[in-house]
Amino acid sequence: MLWVALHLPLLSLESFATTLAPLGEEAGPAPIALVDAHHIVSANDSAQSLGVKSGLKRATALALAPHIVLGQADALRDLQAITAVAHAALAFTPSVTLEPAGDPQAAPHTVLLEVHSSLRYFGGKRPLLRRLQSQLRPLGHRVHCATAPTAQGAALLARLPEAPEGRHAVDLAALNRLLDAAPVWLLGPGREHWEALQGMGLHCLSDLQGLPRSGLARRFGEPLLAEIDRARGLQPDPRTWISLPDRFESRLELFARADTTEQVLHGAAILLARLVAWAGAQHAQVRRFTLHMQHEPRHRRDTATPADSTLEIALAEPSRDIAHLLVLLRERLARLQLAAPTLELRLSCADIARGAPPNGELFPTAKSEREGLIRLVERLQARLGHEQVQRLSLVEDHRPECATAVERAEASLRASRVARPPPPAGPRRPVWLLAEPELLHERQLRPLLEGQPLQLLCGPERIETGWWDAALAERDYFIAQAGDGALVWIYRARLPSAGQGWFLQGRFG
Amino acid sequence: MDAMPPVAASPPAAVFAGTRHPGLAAELRPARVRVEAPEVLHPALWLGHQLGRHTDQAVSSGFAALDAQLPGGGWPRRVLSELLLPHPGIGEIRLLGASLAAIQQAGRLVMMFDPPHALSGWALSQLGLEVAQLLVVHTRCKVVAGSDSLWALEQALKSGHVGAVVAWLPPRLRAERLRRLQLAAQAHDGPAFVFREMAAQQRPTAAPLRLALRAGGADTLQLRLLKRRGPPLDTPLQIALPPVLSASAHSRAEAAVRAEPAPSALQTATFINLAA
Repeated sequence: MLWVALHLPLLSLESFATTLAPLGEEAGPAPIALVDAHHIVSANDSAQSLGVKSGLKRATALALAPHIVLGQADALRDLQAITAVAHAALAFTPSVTLEPAGDPQAAPHTVLLEVHSSLRYFGGKRPLLRRLQSQLRPLGHRVHCATAPTAQGAALLARLPEAPEGRHAVDLAALNRLLDAAPVWLLGPGREHWEALQGMGLHCLSDLQGLPRSGLARRFGEPLLAEIDRARGLQPDPRTWISLPDRFESRLELFARADTTEQVLHGAAILLARLVAWAGAQHAQVRRFTLHMQHEPRHRRDTATPADSTLEIALAEPSRDIAHLLVLLRERLARLQLAAPTLELRLSCADIARGAPPNGELFPTAKSEREGLIRLVERLQARLGHEQVQRLSLVEDHRPECATAVERAEASLRASRVARPPPPAGPRRPVWLLAEPELLHERQLRPLLEGQPLQLLCGPERIETGWWDAALAERDYFIAQAGDGALVWIYRARLPSAGQGWFLQGRFG
Repeated sequence: MDAMPPVAASPPAAVFAGTRHPGLAAELRPARVRVEAPEVLHPALWLGHQLGRHTDQAVSSGFAALDAQLPGGGWPRRVLSELLLPHPGIGEIRLLGASLAAIQQAGRLVMMFDPPHALSGWALSQLGLEVAQLLVVHTRCKVVAGSDSLWALEQALKSGHVGAVVAWLPPRLRAERLRRLQLAAQAHDGPAFVFREMAAQQRPTAAPLRLALRAGGADTLQLRLLKRRGPPLDTPLQIALPPVLSASAHSRAEAAVRAEPAPSALQTATFINLAA
């Protein structure tokens, strides 16, 4: 058995920090601290540099750092954050559990993975840990990582505040050696007895080892000894594995309301990182996801403001690339006008494509080019709108305005390389067609273009069709030469209803 | 695209001058007798009076007379090629048609940005283009911030997955915007054509190739090479485009031009009553 423990020492603080609006680049990280019962319980680096540390009173902290952001730990928020870490771990092994799991009072702060059976696939412990770290990076947590032959031992090593001898134990003997030096307050149930243990001169676990077992059990309870035994591998330690929900749903309550889409995007980026971790756990690609934004009503009986707005993003090609998903979301959000300030974000996804991810390629190939094109078209569509990216198709019709159909280009383009129709014979057609035929002035029955007479060169070519639909056309087409030598396509309408005279239809580009 | 004869002759001439006094030459340069011509040393080097070469293979334009004058023997890849037009519809698509068709034959996509009018699919397929391999992007249809109209073009160039890009740029484009596009084009493995208005020739450009197009009669295009990696070309090129007209109509057009050399000024003059 090889257990990996991922301990998140600043979980509550980091999950609180995700709800804050981003500051400017030059401002640096804002000082943030968590308060419980008017006392600071944890503070981030920039708050600590200002002198704020845990145990201070709230008022003292405010005196030290007037701009400090104070928040409260939220068990539900922490649970969502650590669940994302567990999902990221599920991509490496199906045996993942949270620690402490059964205790309803204590929120989980450590994720345990049993990776012995995955070692061969990932090429050993070191590459596996490296990949695990890179998978966890988008979630933005500080992680202490430890490996040990027992679950409890790994969890204890990961919880060490600092580990001069490392957190990795290759076998039980090494684990016992590391545990002997560990302080007693690491043991969860023993923590309330910390002062009593301290008074008895017991600082580390090796001090407990020499004492009579029955006496220790009477004073500090059986669970303390049981935990040590499980950590040292003397007792079995069965665990229940977590399972993956079928549908991804994660929410983020913003600390301050978001007035701009940029602030919404900042919060949504965290949710997207969680979504990618969830999809990665089942080796699936996201095909479609939805962002719900819950709005704040302007006043109590505000019916004009919608309660929430929804942004649905469908991908042409399923993807798990967080950078790509973020770009799409950013472009869509940039076009969105927020109906009201946003209080809460919710990201949900149920539409995934299971299957192996595409192979990474060293050199560009036709496949990677197709994928890149699809992404390009998706990005253009997200920014400009679906109607602005078009493709043409040929229609069998003699009327020039009907002969070319313009349709929205689907992002999953170039599906069919249909047999090429032979280039149509017959008279040449101009590349440029005017949206509306332009009425030409005449002088002595000769059409004029920009004040100069047109020289008719070819024609007439009579097009008389369309009696079955409303757009009947009866025209005589000519190719004419303009004053500067360019060729144009003009016609004379033969129907009184279509207007009399010469019209400019197109130009030979 | 070989260098012109005087170029190839100049470095050997120096060597020859040295060998006329063998003793002196041996004293001065005992180790190195041969002087490498600069264009041999590095493909990016060329002398002022010869055409530059590209390490990338250029895309043939389909017109031998034009290929002979373009550095690298065709439309360059990875840079912008700027084409100045008085107005659309003088044969510019027929000029590019052969090279775009060759790119589509290789299975790559052609993207057009902001064409000035509606495109006729039949006319494109008559030019040998495949409409299934063509995407048309409109960036100016809605009211967007000024930077947006070039954003799409820049993305397409940067992605490096598009075979060829043809774009009609907005008038009075600032030089730094074009420079930005030129930088983005370095990732673009294919020709990138940008059409601009004629007045842009007064201003400098970041694009290494700049041509001015004029209609030179029926089915003929007059090209002036305003800027290229090489010596300036004084005389305009006359390019015979893929014909629209039949042979008889073409001769009729030429006869008409001879008969009526220019519309007389009197016909189009406007009289202004100065007394009023």
